[in-house]
Amino acid sequence: MSQSGPIAVTMRGITKRFPGVVALDDVSLTVGRGEIHAVCGENGAGKSTLMKILSGVYQPDEGVLEITGVPRRFAGTREAEAAGVAIIHQELNLVEELTVAANIFLGRERRTRLGLLDDRRMTAEAARLLESLDCPVSPLATAGSLRVGDQQLVEIAKALSLEASIVVMDEPTSALTEAESARLERTILRLRDQGTTILYISHKMDEVFRLADRITVLRDGRQIRTVARSATTPREITGWMVGREIEGHAFHHNRSRGDRLLEVRGLSLPWPDHPRGYRLKDISFDLHAGEILGVAGLMGAGRTELLETLFGAAEPTWSGTILLDGRPMRFRHPREACAAGIGMVTEDRKRLGLFPDLDVAANVSLCSLQEAARGPLISQAREEALVAGPVAATGVKTPGLHASIMGLSGGNQQKCIISRWLLTKPRILLLDDPTRGIDVGAKAELYTLIDRLCREDLAVILTSSELPELLTLADRIIVLAEGRLTAEFPRAEATEQKIVEAATM
Amino acid sequence: MPHTDATSPRPAGTGRGFFLRSAEWALVLAIVVAVVLTALVDANHSYWFQPYASLRDIARNTALLGIFALGATVVIIAGGIDLSSGSMIALSGTVCAATMLLVSPGEMIGFKPAGPVAVTLGCLAALASGFLVGTLHAWLITAIRLPPFIATLATLVGLRSLARALAESATAAVTPSKNNLINVADPFFKAIRDNVWIPVAVFAILAVLTWILLTRTVLGRHLYALGGNEEAARLAGIKTENVKWFAYCFGAMTAALAGLFYVANESAASPTNQARGHELNAIAAAVVGGCSLAGGAGSVTGTVLGTIFMRVVIDAISKIIKTGADVYEGMIVGVVVVIAVTFAQLGQMARGGRHLLPGALGLCIIPTLALLAGGVVAMTAGSGVGIAAGIAAVVLLGGLKVWEVRR
Repeated sequence: MSQSGPIAVTMRGITKRFPGVVALDDVSLTVGRGEIHAVCGENGAGKSTLMKILSGVYQPDEGVLEITGVPRRFAGTREAEAAGVAIIHQELNLVEELTVAANIFLGRERRTRLGLLDDRRMTAEAARLLESLDCPVSPLATAGSLRVGDQQLVEIAKALSLEASIVVMDEPTSALTEAESARLERTILRLRDQGTTILYISHKMDEVFRLADRITVLRDGRQIRTVARSATTPREITGWMVGREIEGHAFHHNRSRGDRLLEVRGLSLPWPDHPRGYRLKDISFDLHAGEILGVAGLMGAGRTELLETLFGAAEPTWSGTILLDGRPMRFRHPREACAAGIGMVTEDRKRLGLFPDLDVAANVSLCSLQEAARGPLISQAREEALVAGPVAATGVKTPGLHASIMGLSGGNQQKCIISRWLLTKPRILLLDDPTRGIDVGAKAELYTLIDRLCREDLAVILTSSELPELLTLADRIIVLAEGRLTAEFPRAEATEQKIVEAATM
Repeated sequence: MPHTDATSPRPAGTGRGFFLRSAEWALVLAIVVAVVLTALVDANHSYWFQPYASLRDIARNTALLGIFALGATVVIIAGGIDLSSGSMIALSGTVCAATMLLVSPGEMIGFKPAGPVAVTLGCLAALASGFLVGTLHAWLITAIRLPPFIATLATLVGLRSLARALAESATAAVTPSKNNLINVADPFFKAIRDNVWIPVAVFAILAVLTWILLTRTVLGRHLYALGGNEEAARLAGIKTENVKWFAYCFGAMTAALAGLFYVANESAASPTNQARGHELNAIAAAVVGGCSLAGGAGSVTGTVLGTIFMRVVIDAISKIIKTGADVYEGMIVGVVVVIAVTFAQLGQMARGGRHLLPGALGLCIIPTLALLAGGVVAMTAGSGVGIAAGIAAVVLLGGLKVWEVRR
């Protein structure tokens, strides 16, 4: 692919390895000045790693990075910023307690002649930047009080304040409403017209095809293709992304729905000190044995809060009724939910699920350790026997029961946590985005596992940030938007289009 | 992304070798080196000429420190910190002595045996005070949600003051004048003082019990889980508040038990100075023994070795520096703790490509360390040697800095 005009970024033969994974394998890319370049790929394809190398978060193991023709090796984001490269991460990096203006100038504070903070100048400059972005936010508002879409624009304002000539955006619209996305698209086009080079990661094909000049597709760390937008179609891109025809492999056929286990009526969870006032509002649904209920929604829609409330892990300030087997339940602690036959696999495996200092066996046996004890003492043999069953059943691949849990792949760690909950013999399993950060092959294994558990009469509530996953697994899908339940679809009626519309209502 | 799972660093020296972990073998080696060095350097050669007396001193001191270092270990593994154990020791000793004084005032004032009833009540009251303080800590931390550092900092200051007030009130109640020292002359305490095997045996039994607790019980596993990942532990259905309650009670009650031995050792409860600052020795022993202040990691074996190491080093200081050894004790213990903990991280630093002397901070630390080294040597061995040591330090560190920049 030849490139006319001045070149902003050249990457040649970039390779990055992490213990056990080759995240990027010989990727080469050229981006012209003032180009919008989309990087597409499935989760784990290496898009974020590539962008983090460009912006100095990681250093490549092999390969050359050139910014406007000068070879560079950034030791950190500060060096990249000095060279005019700014990144806007998927997880926003704002200090919630500080004002918008303070966030924009964090680390590069403007000072008066006396060396004191020049708040007035920073506020004025922030206001000007925000205005140029059509962002109706006061520079004096605290960052934590803003909606996600506005926070995103604050991040962009920060990049602009750096006078970055190259801006990297990692899935900027994944948490935005349609109106917010449209506003962001306008901003991106305007930046391009001013000569800013934009590298843009996105899953959303319509967006990519509206914005991008050229598109690079990554899969499993390898560069599959770089093409001009005009020379391709969305179907071709998605085909390259997955490397196969997208098959509608559905697991939900021939499952038989059992008795009603759970009835949720008018569930609300307040959110003090927040302009919205509630995390969940007036949510009602049923759950039957042997079915998978999918919960769709954007980031911040309240999926995790819903599961945590059912599991007794949220603040006990919720109102409404939760009936388990027709009896009202009000769990004050996860232990009570566990005793009532509910298990929860948490969203953020590393932060909320794993015990890094404990071995595989101890991580799995944790919730049912009493069964491995004889009197007050744990019998190691009994613990191993207890753990071996579910570890084999879920297909955990581990060098041994006493291996370090941190040495396993993400998929195997997740199977360990599912095993932990299976040991408690639950009737309801809450799975909060269980395949996040897991590679494609392991995902398929998890799907098969979840389907099998469901056929064994387990009731499952599944949330996911990926709609195809819900459409593959769920019997019914409810959609949350900003804490409200906006739609419920039986599987036969659900389409990505309908769900996205309901999620952005 | 799959790579995020693989980037978590493993602490160095966790590989289990023959019987002990490699870091623990290193500690054994360090203890042996310290003992041999002391035997060679000490001008009186007391390790050669009075081996039993030397061993007895070290054993007694190790047992006294070890008893509450075990408590500190449990608290640290559970992800907390207890800064108050020194003051807890003073309080428990005072509670014990004050109880005995109030039960049998005549005997206590006359330096006569106070009788089994008074002794039993005194000891029980002391242990009970440990339970109460532990409960207070747990409440401050779980219900009021104070950070453990703040909660136990408050009791570090508060308990010693309370102990002094208690000593003065108790003495004022039974004698004409108030006093902040209560003498204890009962034969029970004399026997403890004269038979070193008693504190050693108590320490050994407590160590075994703690080892069983941490490695073989459900509660022990929950302590590690709580320290390793508190939120995950809660979401796994563990009543983290109760586990913390246990940990802080264990920490305070081991300190209370140690308080009884302090009273026996000094034949008095003296709340003004007894065990002042010793909480830091206990924390240091646990950390040198492999406890992570982030929680979730540590072992009884490590703490026992760490305690022995601390006491051997302190003993070495007093043997080698004859006069005014206590002046240098804190400094040398501080240096040794830093070296021991750094040593455990060196491998990790080398692998991660981290620098020991990074940037401008690295430049400024060279004269700081050189001044420290030169100053200490000058004060102990004379100014000429001190200046030489300072220059040597500058050359060594400067060389290291140059090497790091070049690399």
